Amino acid sequence: MKVGCHASSSIHAPRPRQFGDKMSAVCCCAHCDFLSLGMQDDHRLSTSELEKKYGTSIDKGLSSARAAEILARDGPNALTPPKATPEIVKFLKQMIGGFSILLWIGAAFSWISFGIQLAQGVDSAFDNLYLGVVLALVVILTGIFAYYQEAKSTNIMASFSKMIPQQALVLRDAEKKELPADQLVVGDIVEIKGGDRIPADIRLIFTQGCKVDNSSLTGESEPQSRSCDFTHENPLETRNIAFYSTTCVEVCVPAGTATGIVINTGDRTIIGRIASLASGVGNEKTPIAIEIEHFVYLVAGVAISIGVLFFIISVSMRYKILDSIIFLIGIIVANVPEGLLATVTVSLSLTAKRMAKKNCLVKNLEAVETLGSTSIICSDKTGTLTQNRMTVAHLWFDNQIYSADTSEDQTTQSFDQSSPSWAALSKIVTLCNRAEFRPGQENLPIMKRVVVGDASETALLKFSEVILGDVMNIRAQNKKVAEIPFNSTNKFQLSIHETDDPHDKRFLLVMKGAPERILERCSTIMINGKEEPLDSEKAEAFQTAYMELGGMGERVLGFCHLYLPENEFPETFQFDTDSMNFPTSNLCFVGLLSMIDPPRSTVPDAVSKCRSAGIKVIMVTGDHPITAKAIAKSVGIISATSETVEDIAKRLNIPVEQVNRREATAAVVNGMELKEMSAEQLDEILREHAEIVFARTSPQQKLIIVEGCQRQGAVVAVTGDGVNDSPALKKADIGIAMGIAGSDAAKNAADMVLLDDNFASIVTGVEEGRLIFDNLKKTIAYTLTKNIAELCPFLIYIIASIPMPIGTITILFIDLGTDIIPSVALAYEKAESDIMNRRPRNKRRDRLVNEQLAVYSYLQIGIMQSVGAFVTYFTVYAEQGFLPSTLLGVRVDWESNAINDFEDSYGQQWTKYQRTYLQWTGYTAFFVSITIQQVADLIIRKTRRNSIFRQGLFRNKVIWVGIFSQIGIALILTYGLGHVTALNFTPLRFQYWFVAVPFAILIWVYDEIRKLLIRRYPGSWWDKNMYY
Amino acid sequence: MTKETKKPFRQSMAEWRQFIYNPNSGEFLGRTAKSWGLILLFYLVFYGFLAALFTFTMWVMLQTLSSDIPKYRDRISSPGLMISPKPDTALEFYFNKSDSQSYSEYVTTLQNFLESYNDSKQSQNIVCTPGQIFDQSDAAVKKACQFNISQLGQCSGKEDANFGYSKGTPCVLVKMNRIIGLKPEGEPRIECTPKEEGMVNINYFPPNGMMDLMYFPYYGKSLHAHYLQPLVAVQLAISPNGTKEEIAIECKILGSPNLKNQDDRDKFLGRIAFKVLMSE
Repeated sequence: MKVGCHASSSIHAPRPRQFGDKMSAVCCCAHCDFLSLGMQDDHRLSTSELEKKYGTSIDKGLSSARAAEILARDGPNALTPPKATPEIVKFLKQMIGGFSILLWIGAAFSWISFGIQLAQGVDSAFDNLYLGVVLALVVILTGIFAYYQEAKSTNIMASFSKMIPQQALVLRDAEKKELPADQLVVGDIVEIKGGDRIPADIRLIFTQGCKVDNSSLTGESEPQSRSCDFTHENPLETRNIAFYSTTCVEVCVPAGTATGIVINTGDRTIIGRIASLASGVGNEKTPIAIEIEHFVYLVAGVAISIGVLFFIISVSMRYKILDSIIFLIGIIVANVPEGLLATVTVSLSLTAKRMAKKNCLVKNLEAVETLGSTSIICSDKTGTLTQNRMTVAHLWFDNQIYSADTSEDQTTQSFDQSSPSWAALSKIVTLCNRAEFRPGQENLPIMKRVVVGDASETALLKFSEVILGDVMNIRAQNKKVAEIPFNSTNKFQLSIHETDDPHDKRFLLVMKGAPERILERCSTIMINGKEEPLDSEKAEAFQTAYMELGGMGERVLGFCHLYLPENEFPETFQFDTDSMNFPTSNLCFVGLLSMIDPPRSTVPDAVSKCRSAGIKVIMVTGDHPITAKAIAKSVGIISATSETVEDIAKRLNIPVEQVNRREATAAVVNGMELKEMSAEQLDEILREHAEIVFARTSPQQKLIIVEGCQRQGAVVAVTGDGVNDSPALKKADIGIAMGIAGSDAAKNAADMVLLDDNFASIVTGVEEGRLIFDNLKKTIAYTLTKNIAELCPFLIYIIASIPMPIGTITILFIDLGTDIIPSVALAYEKAESDIMNRRPRNKRRDRLVNEQLAVYSYLQIGIMQSVGAFVTYFTVYAEQGFLPSTLLGVRVDWESNAINDFEDSYGQQWTKYQRTYLQWTGYTAFFVSITIQQVADLIIRKTRRNSIFRQGLFRNKVIWVGIFSQIGIALILTYGLGHVTALNFTPLRFQYWFVAVPFAILIWVYDEIRKLLIRRYPGSWWDKNMYY
Repeated sequence: MTKETKKPFRQSMAEWRQFIYNPNSGEFLGRTAKSWGLILLFYLVFYGFLAALFTFTMWVMLQTLSSDIPKYRDRISSPGLMISPKPDTALEFYFNKSDSQSYSEYVTTLQNFLESYNDSKQSQNIVCTPGQIFDQSDAAVKKACQFNISQLGQCSGKEDANFGYSKGTPCVLVKMNRIIGLKPEGEPRIECTPKEEGMVNINYFPPNGMMDLMYFPYYGKSLHAHYLQPLVAVQLAISPNGTKEEIAIECKILGSPNLKNQDDRDKFLGRIAFKVLMSE
């Protein structure tokens, strides 16, 4: 199958993953039944039967008329794009989502009262008009912001449509025509050249040496050969069908083209089915979306109930209905954190940016947090957990196993190289190898150089280059005189060389291949540089070593050599590889080398991090169970002490059936077994075993595994690279596509793209995700607090009839002005403790906004802020002549336009405008007080449990940016825009900025005490009620 | 696939009932009696503390204030004007000179307003030197200057108990808002102008609508308890062709550079506009 794939038959060599293999392994999976059912028997039929079936002729093709008929029947050969939600609908959805409805209601009420007041000729009617406009603007702007964010996430179907080939060479009316590919119909005869994209699902009828790249379908980058032969029952596996959207890599020279009959077009092709499957898999709501929805309901509930309550109170206090409605607007505006949803989006995208730097590219913002709540990661093996590169892992010579360094950037090998046997072995490894470095890479590290040759030979070449240095030079000094390349009958590779010793005129024959085949050809074995007869004891030692290396899931190669006697093979001897005029038996066995695709060096650490973070890592691979298990063990997915049922059976020497399944913490499940399992059995496995490896599985089975995990209530992250991974990627709570190896469709279906394909990057992503969840809690707590300080003025205004302490517009300036940057700054806060030592959050219990958070923010800190702000308010009025006692109950007269000689506590008389101006000064003072206390609120929100001093006041510089921006904006509003009457700000005496400072300090001290008690008495009443 | 199935109504009702009162754990609204007790106690203490703190800070703040004059008077640098009687509707006088019922309210208001200017009430007040500021900042007890009601002439209520309303010459009293420490410069006087000429003739009491400087400055309610602010009566002699038509009149304070009468936003700062509609 692959040229030079000499070891593919060695006992445990992992088979290259094949698309068909994956497909055929799935039967219990409804989706895959659906895939295979759709395929006809076309692969079984002979050419003439096909001609008959499709009413076509191989020589002439379809007639144009017939083709047009079929085209009319089947439609064009293109994937139907999914019914996309119209952009305007998406936009409108943003306009009514979240708090928008509440604000629209507020705006509507404002306009209604404007209309009524205008009709009554009230001077201040226009205030309500402006308020309505401002509220509408707030909704529209935040809506546009949210819409813009959503528009950035791309559509899965986009890349499917991009894959359609442009032109196809078709035989119609006995003529070859170049047609747009979407005009193809079933029964068309098409010709494909190397490099073409396959224009439809095609049954090949004439080809030679055709190879296709199925990576867009399976993610497997190894080209697969295609022929006209029916090789497998399963249409997905047989070689005589080429699939739509895959690429034809090469066609052998004699013909130059491959010919085939189109058997499926458009949505009926395999890729079309997968596309429809992927769009059919529903998108689950992300956990953070659920949390935000929960939070919106909570806040909206509070807003509406307080609003309605006070509407009733104000009506029963004989306020006018119109006034009561205006109060209602105020209460809604005060209660709704207008800027919060935008803040959350910004925080998430900041984290997304930070994750992108760590090679996690997040497409869907909400996925940032989903990753943090992940409780199960289903990871691919090849390329994700491993380096996706064969590397020499072990050597066996002199009756001893040596371990080689398999890390990514090895520069030396440290095993004992003093034995003469190693000198002999290294010579064979170097010489009996056809792989070569591409020229011009001398300056690159060896491991990074590009090699022409297959995976095993590349591994051996790099291995010897690392140890011996310039391999090409060594080969040049040992000139090759003859060579037999690997073929599947011999299962060995042989070459004959001159030696580099000018005095030694002998030829050296070197051979490598499947160990048992090599051993068969040997009569001696080299021990410590000396040839010793290969007796049964030594053969036994060989067997043991071979089994051991094979048991580690490694691909083992045997090496032997023979110095041809000078008398029989003089310097001028002509070697003939066809007649084999040289000995190929009674050779001297030198040693074994075993190779594996080794784990990435960062992975074991990442897996153990997952373990301490309570995240279950499940390996899902198409590889052989033994290789899979070996890698799982070496990265810690299966820990050193745990056993599978089979291990226990072997240890106790009892049949597998008798083992108590609960004793086995680990399980290795074969795709074939999975196929037979019911959903309940799968659930049981997922539940009972902590460490699970699924081997020999297909991407389709991934979907079943994901669904099984989700049935356990887990938040599942799944990695994938092929097109047929996309249903699983979509189904998973978070789909992770590989950035390097992944197909476009996988990347599109995924929520996240792993730029370096490295599992460890997922774990850093998890860490960021958990951090943002914690930080969002802080942001929300921060934001909610001041809502009470905005709400209380209204309530007291209604009940005590004092002059209005803070205006609606002023509130909006806090919510959308001073508070925005500080709340985003909390997203930069470092974790309080090792967040990777916690269990993943429980979707049902650990809410983003829980009772404690709301109660602590609303009823404690919020009330403290209100008290502080009211002190400032009363101070401003008192120092201008209105003592607190004078203010109670004055609302009606205070607001009356007709009263222009309103008397203060000192007997002075005020006009309406003078009072209004004082009222605005009150607004400004109230605003400034809230701002000052929000600084304290910001500082206390840095931590939820630890002391601020432990967290460090200055570690998060952005917080200080937040604080300065907050105060800066307040200064600008107060002194810069203090003369713009529409904004209701007035310049404020400087000392009023400090009235609330003691309360700010109190907030800080109180919160430190709260945290101290929480730390001191874990689990106590205080802890339960005060920790959010 | 993980979609939760909708709970049957009865079950969710039962859950609600369970939440409101759970007989097994004795939980009421998710908390046991003890838990409720603790949480209520906590908030009692917490809010008690906050209330005490609030009271204390307010007390401290009030201690810093003088009971005589407010700390700042910058928000009322210039006085507003106001009239008496003041109709309920936005400063519009509607009456029928032959229907005493239609103006009785104005008359009563004026009578009540002038009550405090009765000679009997002014017995403690002293006679001051006209034409100059009566500065008594050094005096511990501030004296009030007499405002003789007879200065209001036909509008004093003594000559005409109906203040001219029955004769088609209604009186309106114009007063200037009290502001502590305000010392008008120049010779402040009230001048009223009708919007349209020829409909009304205006008489002022005291003559020229003068406001004597001796009534200034004002020292505040507690120091200057008997203070009476000077009044200017404006008598509107409505000509026969002015009846049945709304007459718009604007009064302004003039003659004093430090009393503003032209502010874009404050329509009552040093001026006042009102309308009169008299029928027969």
